[in-house]
Amino acid sequence: MGKYQLGEFEEIVMLTVAILHGEAYGIAIINEMESRLNRSVSIGSLQTVLRRLESKGYLDSKLGESTKVRGGKRKRFFSVTAQGKKAMSESKEQRMGLWNAIPSDFVLNDN
Amino acid sequence: MKSQTNISPPTLWLKFFRWFCRPEYAEDLEGDILERFDERLEKHSRSKAKRLFILDVLRLLRPGLVKKIEGNQSLNNYGMFKNYFKTARRNLLRQKTYSIIKIGGFALGIAVCLLISLFIKDEFSYDQHIPDKENLFMAVRGYNENGNIEKYTWFPSPYANAILEDYPEVIQSGKMIFSEGFGAGNANIRKASEVTNYYEDGFAFASQSIMEIFNYPMVYGDAKNALKEPNSIILTKRKADLLFPGVNPVGEVVVIDDNTEAPYMIGGVMEDLPANSTVKFNYLRSLEDYRFWDGEDKSWGSNNYQVFVKLLPNTNLNELIPKLKYIDEKYLLPEYLEAGYSDAEEAIETMSTSLLPIADLHLKSADIGDPFEKSDIKIVRIFGLIALFILGLACINFINLSTAKSANRAKEVGLRKTIGSTKKHLITQFLTESILYSLLSFALAIGISSLLLPYFNQLAAKSLYLPWSSYWFVPILALGSLLIGLIAGLYPAFYLSSFRPAAVLKGKLSMGSKSSKLRNSLVVFQFTASIILIIGTFVVSKQMQYILNKKVGFNKDQVILVQSPYLLGDNLEAFKNALRTIPEVKSTSYTNYLPISGANQNGNVWWNDGRTKIDASISGQNWIIDHEYIETLGMNLIDGRNFSRELRTDSAAMIINETMAKQLGIADSPLGQRITNRSSNRLIYTVIGVVEDFHFQSLTAPVGALAMRLGKNYVTASVKLNTNNLSATTAQIQHIWDEMAPGQPFIYEFLDQRFGNMYSETIRTRNILTSFSMLAVIIACLGLFGLSVFMVEQRGKEISVRRALGAKMSQIIQMLGMNFMKPIFLALLLAIPVAWYIMKGWLNGFEYNTGLSVSLFAFAGLTALSIALITISFQSIKAGLTNPVDGLRNE
Repeated sequence: MGKYQLGEFEEIVMLTVAILHGEAYGIAIINEMESRLNRSVSIGSLQTVLRRLESKGYLDSKLGESTKVRGGKRKRFFSVTAQGKKAMSESKEQRMGLWNAIPSDFVLNDN
Repeated sequence: MKSQTNISPPTLWLKFFRWFCRPEYAEDLEGDILERFDERLEKHSRSKAKRLFILDVLRLLRPGLVKKIEGNQSLNNYGMFKNYFKTARRNLLRQKTYSIIKIGGFALGIAVCLLISLFIKDEFSYDQHIPDKENLFMAVRGYNENGNIEKYTWFPSPYANAILEDYPEVIQSGKMIFSEGFGAGNANIRKASEVTNYYEDGFAFASQSIMEIFNYPMVYGDAKNALKEPNSIILTKRKADLLFPGVNPVGEVVVIDDNTEAPYMIGGVMEDLPANSTVKFNYLRSLEDYRFWDGEDKSWGSNNYQVFVKLLPNTNLNELIPKLKYIDEKYLLPEYLEAGYSDAEEAIETMSTSLLPIADLHLKSADIGDPFEKSDIKIVRIFGLIALFILGLACINFINLSTAKSANRAKEVGLRKTIGSTKKHLITQFLTESILYSLLSFALAIGISSLLLPYFNQLAAKSLYLPWSSYWFVPILALGSLLIGLIAGLYPAFYLSSFRPAAVLKGKLSMGSKSSKLRNSLVVFQFTASIILIIGTFVVSKQMQYILNKKVGFNKDQVILVQSPYLLGDNLEAFKNALRTIPEVKSTSYTNYLPISGANQNGNVWWNDGRTKIDASISGQNWIIDHEYIETLGMNLIDGRNFSRELRTDSAAMIINETMAKQLGIADSPLGQRITNRSSNRLIYTVIGVVEDFHFQSLTAPVGALAMRLGKNYVTASVKLNTNNLSATTAQIQHIWDEMAPGQPFIYEFLDQRFGNMYSETIRTRNILTSFSMLAVIIACLGLFGLSVFMVEQRGKEISVRRALGAKMSQIIQMLGMNFMKPIFLALLLAIPVAWYIMKGWLNGFEYNTGLSVSLFAFAGLTALSIALITISFQSIKAGLTNPVDGLRNE
């Protein structure tokens, strides 16, 4: 633990980038998160996390081709690095470990 | 996704985003927010989309996304600044004379400014520490004398209580006494258990309420009742440590002036008063139940007390002050009428009472008579003006030297412009340079002022220090150096940066002569200011000399004043007789009624006998002297005779001065006239002699009426000497004293010194003025010297050619000198009327003054001219002496 520790929002961003595999740029990530998680995200908060994850080495980015929309500005596509994958799987293992540790007589859906 | 070409996002906000966003993120982030904006246009109204866009932009304002402060561009600027500093340093080192003059003059000016600022700050800090000072006032009595309101602060004993009882706005009131005649001032004090006296200063009387009004912090005892008991006394910490080192002395008994019948109990010890207190004392004797004579507590006839009051917060003074008049009508008028004064109603009519805020006491009460040592806002303003003057002179030097040397920098400017510097860059460069000079000057100035501070403190009788520990001091210095650097550098920066590169590089610029008009007018200004200061100094010195040497009507030389002869007890006459055996002692007189301030003086009203109800009274002194007084003080009896030991009737005899004889209308035949100072219970004196008028008050006032009678007063013994060895004679006197008053301190002063002390403030002003005008002249001369160095340098070739062609050295000097003397002559013409006007006003403050003479102005002008001439000729002679070959060799 600790070495690949991800925050909750960071983990969601990593997952979404992974889901969008190759198509992950700012607005696409936001739209994906909004539709899947019903959670509104501002560009500012997302971008800060993206840059942070990039500087930690979990994400990599490169600029795409120029298009006519978006005022002719290029998109920056993010992808998960090997180190990022390690962090994600470690995070998942921790979760699973916790899930598995729940006693069998614990009922999740109370109704 | 449909592109909405015709609707654009809020441009201003987009620009804002571009401005703050990190350049490496800007492109894709801008794309993102634009895409989102387009998306929203499809879903929402335009205004909502725009609103959300703004929100998006604002949410991007995060530390991770915003530009770093240093940015990319600063690297470039840093490089340029590095270059500016390097150039500045090289210039500084290359021209050492200029740099020294520039920085030295600047530093001197700033140091003087710093010292004066400290002085002014100290003056304004007086009494600001008093708690609740907004509501604390001193009562001031005004007497309307023919439209001229004379203001005094002495009130009758019951006044303090009356004002408290009759006016609900007054919540506390108290009274104090500082008059020497009542035992305040200097006195002997000792522990009741010991015999050795300490001769101490700073005794004052106060009622208990004073302690509460001023809220003095206590070391021992309780402020609420420290003076409550009659015959209790409060000591300041320093004095308590002197008498009772290291113990709590509350409850101990002390004896004042050897009066064992009324010993004093110590009621408390208070903290030492801050140095910037106007109401000062070391010992406070209680006024509770204290009467200087029977019935004094009910008497409205004599004014001896300072009255302090505390008002309700937010009291409207404009309403309260006119109402104070009723006190006089209620208490004073009946007393006057009862005494049968013929002019009682008019006398009351001319009186008024006002309240002076305690915070104004130090600086804004120059027109009010009171016992405190004060300053005057006028002096503070003059000093402030001088400080600005001197700073201005220093700035002018800086400007003059910078522009004069511009020729040397012209090529640099031309080159810089050619390779792409804009005017803005050059202005920045020269401002940087001048700020650098200013910083160096400030550093030097701090050094100079710390060196000068002890002398300045001595000069101004202050204890100032550089307040390094105050949080504001360093920032103010830094700000000051930046500001002054900017101000001084502004003109040179614009001037230098405006050179046209083509002209400069072709060598067409006429060397530094372009702004000689401006330089000359600045020199004129500098010397006008300096000459005004020189004349001012001369006039003040002459007036001082005049006062100190004026025939004052008594002989103040070789008189020593021995304090407290009452300590001799039964040996008073024996002491007098013993002194007579010393051949150098001419005579001895016991009395503290002396023609100097700080001695007993008083005010009485006088009539010719039998006319108290008919004539208006005249006011005059009523002094107690002894038989030897007139001889000892060398006064001149012009009519009648001195008191005689043989005639017992002399106990009701008077010797009056000429002024009194004139004012009573008995100048024709004064001898035998009967005069009185009481309208009831008759005390009538017969005039037996008239003395020539002598000055018994400061020479700023005319001589008043004065009457002297025989009596006993053993506070001071005046001893007239005729000796060549003052210290030996004094030692002889002390020897006799020690025999007759064993264990008692022998304290003596010289009359001429005490006389000089009366003018100590004027002398102090003179000394400060002299020092400052000297500094101003030095700074102005530094500038002139710099300019002459420059001029000789510029005309070096010309001088060499002239010399080679046979010009004499005297001709060279004359040629160069005339060039500089013109502005100085002009300055002289300008300065004389200004100085005349100012000094006329100052001299009018003295009743006896020397007046202004042509010779004085001529002398001052000559001084200024010769100083300037010496400054210039130094360089001119040097130029004349150089071998012409040296000047012509380099081409």
